[in-house]
Amino acid sequence: MGFKPQSAVLDFAQLQQQLQDFAAYQWRQRNVLQEKLRAALEAWAAAPEAEALNKQVKDVRPSWLVAQLLGTRLQECRDAPERPATVTVVAADGSQIFPDRHVEPPCFLLNVGRVAFQLGTLEPPRMESVPRFYYRQEDLRDFLDDRFEAITVEVVSALRDEYELEALLELATEARRAGRPLVALLDGTLIRWMIRRLHQRELEERLIQRYAELLEGFQKEQIPLASYISRPGGAEVVNLLRVVRGECTPQPPALSLEGLPDRLLFAQLLKPGERSAVFLSGSHIQWAYAREHQIAYVYLAVPARYGTVEIARIEFPQWVAEHTDWLDLLHAVLLKECEKGQGYPMVLAEAHERAIIRGVDREAFYDLIGRQLLQNGMTLESSRKQMSKRRPVL
Amino acid sequence: MPIGEVIESSTRQFVAEVYRDQAPPAFGSWVCVALPEGWRLYGLVSHVELGSTEPGRRPMALGRTPEELRREMPHVLELIRTTFRAQVLAYEDPQGRMHQTLPPYPASIHAFVEACPPTIVQRLSRPYDFLRMLVQSPDPAVPIDDLLVAVLRQIQKGYHGPEGTQALIEAGRMLSRLLRDDHERLEAILRRLD
Repeated sequence: MGFKPQSAVLDFAQLQQQLQDFAAYQWRQRNVLQEKLRAALEAWAAAPEAEALNKQVKDVRPSWLVAQLLGTRLQECRDAPERPATVTVVAADGSQIFPDRHVEPPCFLLNVGRVAFQLGTLEPPRMESVPRFYYRQEDLRDFLDDRFEAITVEVVSALRDEYELEALLELATEARRAGRPLVALLDGTLIRWMIRRLHQRELEERLIQRYAELLEGFQKEQIPLASYISRPGGAEVVNLLRVVRGECTPQPPALSLEGLPDRLLFAQLLKPGERSAVFLSGSHIQWAYAREHQIAYVYLAVPARYGTVEIARIEFPQWVAEHTDWLDLLHAVLLKECEKGQGYPMVLAEAHERAIIRGVDREAFYDLIGRQLLQNGMTLESSRKQMSKRRPVL
Repeated sequence: MPIGEVIESSTRQFVAEVYRDQAPPAFGSWVCVALPEGWRLYGLVSHVELGSTEPGRRPMALGRTPEELRREMPHVLELIRTTFRAQVLAYEDPQGRMHQTLPPYPASIHAFVEACPPTIVQRLSRPYDFLRMLVQSPDPAVPIDDLLVAVLRQIQKGYHGPEGTQALIEAGRMLSRLLRDDHERLEAILRRLD
């Protein structure tokens, strides 16, 4: 009998064939996308002005999410103005330790990293992380998922998003300097469509309400707020072009633009450093917010190597979009930040550094709460399964 | 006024982080840490290092002047810290007597570190037993002769007038014995004093 080698955890020999198929499949997909892109560019050039365009959408009422053009022309692109020599930039990012099903009592941790840079000055930066520990049963009860009697990942994520915004607003008001422009930045989307996935109507409404209040806080303070999304997946502008092409009519063209993301389109249309026209998101959650807090966005062509661009999406509430000088400021600040951060805004990267909770921190967190409980004669109950995962033995 | 804080400690040596608003101690200078109950440890700075405050982040070339960095990338300089290692070579007991040998206890982690005034060498003098410890059990990561040059310089600086020369001669004699009359080595050390 020959020696049969022990299989590794991942069997690469078996995987090999599947990987080859994957490459062939991607090649075919790419060709299809190229065809769609050509068709999209034709529709783009032929698209009518805003009024006619928005009317067309209203008339056909497509089932897909469609962007609403807020400017006058779809095709308008703008170059970045010069960034002010001195500007206050604040940014926040969040992370969490999700509730662990294997640990009793239930608890979870939110951590927001936030930074305030007085750019162009010699004033010292502010860089900090602000943790918030949730453990009171009476507080947690409000967030329990009725179906599982547990706090879900979605609820914790929603609370983290909210806390990010709250911590950002607080820092922005503190870091503001008279006569110096100020912008507040977040990573990811401002459109809280995830809230609608909680399947708890009452909680959803509460979260939407609180989120709107925070946006209002920024508006009251007149602090332009924006979020930055790298490699955005949205296709609302392409969907707009699908309307232009008559994909909603009884005789749609043979080739549909479905599956083509906006970023591939704008990578062809925007020159390095330019931003697109302003669009209002068609996401359903938007209708839960007052008009001025609905989220609008532009696409930004961030210069990359060899004269290419990487498309990012910048989101902001409508009340920000109404000030062209704020959009110019955000545009200029983000471009410069991307330049310093090698393609990703430097301030956001720094906020992220303050936010992340690494594996060792997670372990230390459980050790600490265990020790706190032990000092008071109680123990942290951890299931056997969890212990074996943390310390596998031979 | 403390210049830093102990972050690693043993009876033989300690590592301290320098506070942001303080200048790091010079290589070969003396620092001191107070222990509870009146003990004081004296350490010789044998290694000073600059590096990232965060283990996962390495500094890299950014092509900007320090002023440009402070204006546009203000976090970069904040994330650099200075640490130094000091070899513990003497201690003072609660009665105020100086002993040129290893202390009974290590410095506490987070204990404050102070820079000693130059005149401290007047108390860390004859019979120069600390030089014995330094030569016979050197820190393997430090070129010992260069450290000795720095030590002798400190002795020179710590006195006024002819006393300094006298102290230097005594320390040189001790070194000569420790180096087992390796004249060439001793000469090389003394040559670098000028």
